[in-house]
Amino acid sequence: MLYYSPIMATDSEGVYKPPTALPTQAEPLPPASKTSPWSHVFSALCVVTLGVFLYLIFFIFNRTPDAQAAAGGLAQKIFYFHVPAAYAMYLGGVACFLGSAAYLMRATDTRNAWARAGAETAVVFGMLVLVSGPLWAKKAWGVYWTWDPRLTTLMLSVLIYLAIAVLRAFGGDGEAERKFAAALGVLGTVTLPIVHYAVRKWGGNHPTVITKGGGGLGHPAMYEALGIGFLAMTLLWILMLWMRISLETSEARARHAEERLITSGHIDEL
Amino acid sequence: MQTDTNQPQAAPAKSGTLSPADRSTEFVPTQGGAESASAGSLLVWAYLLMWTMLLAFVLMTWLRQQRINDRVARLEQALARKPAS
Repeated sequence: MLYYSPIMATDSEGVYKPPTALPTQAEPLPPASKTSPWSHVFSALCVVTLGVFLYLIFFIFNRTPDAQAAAGGLAQKIFYFHVPAAYAMYLGGVACFLGSAAYLMRATDTRNAWARAGAETAVVFGMLVLVSGPLWAKKAWGVYWTWDPRLTTLMLSVLIYLAIAVLRAFGGDGEAERKFAAALGVLGTVTLPIVHYAVRKWGGNHPTVITKGGGGLGHPAMYEALGIGFLAMTLLWILMLWMRISLETSEARARHAEERLITSGHIDEL
Repeated sequence: MQTDTNQPQAAPAKSGTLSPADRSTEFVPTQGGAESASAGSLLVWAYLLMWTMLLAFVLMTWLRQQRINDRVARLEQALARKPAS
C-alpha cells in the first residue's frame, strides 16, 4: 500500500497543483513515493502502535485487578477499550469539524480529505463504542441496551457521521455533495458536547466513568491501564486518519490526472 | 489474573431509587434486567468484535488503495498507447 503525505499533491495552502508539464508518451505518471520519509514515519508509527496495544492487553490481563461485581467484574475490562474508543471518536469528530469548516470557507482537496477521513474514523470508533458498551452493560446493568441519554445521543452522533460517510461514498464527489457533507460535518460535531455532558445533565444509567470513579476504577493500576488505552487509541486513530487522508489525496490526484490528460487529448477514454 | 479483594463491593441498587448524582458513580441494574451472561464470554465477544471491525476497516482501506493503483496503471497504459496529438 502506498502512502502519501497529505500535503504532497498540494501547495502550501492545500490547493491541488497538477504537474506543469504533461507527461509525454514515453513518460509514465509520476510514481507514488514509496521511499518518502512519510512512509518511514508511518511504518514506525505502526510498529509503535502495535507495541502499545500488545502492552495494553498484557497490562489489562496481568496487572489490572478485576472490578467489583456491580461494575461487571471481569467484563469491566472492556472499559479499557470502550472509553478510549469514545475519546478517539471525539477526535474523529473534531477532525471532521475542522476539515468541514475549513472546506466551507475555502474548498480544497486537502480540506475535503480531512473532513471525510475525520467522519470515517468517527464512524469506526463510534461503532467500537456501540458494540463494546452493550456487552459490558449486559453484565453491569443486566440488559444490552437502554435508552439512556448518553447511549442515545452517542448513537445519534454515530448515525450523523455514518450519514456523511455514506453520502460521500455513494452520493458522488461533486462540489454540491462535498459542501453538503461539510455542512453536516460542522453541525454533527455540535452533538459531541451533548453526548459528553448528557450524563451530568440528565443522569441515566451510564455513570460518569472517570472523574467520579463510575467506571469501576478502584485501583491505581486501573487508571494506568486506562492511560495506556488512551495512548493506544490515539495512536490508532492517527494511523487511521492518516491512511484515509492519504487515500482521499491519492484519489484526487488520480482524478485530476485523468481530467487533465483527457482534456489535453493525450488519452480519449480510460 | 489478579483479583482485588480490597475493593468495596457495591450494594446492588434498584433502578429508579437513585438520583442522577448517585447514578454517576455507580452501576445501577436496569429494572427487569437479569444478570445471566458470563463475564468471560462477554469480554471475549467484545474484544473479538472490536478487532474484527478494525481489521475490516483496514481491509476496506487497502481495497480502495488497490483500486486507485489500478486507475493509475490504466492511465499509464493509456498514455503508452496513444501519444499526444
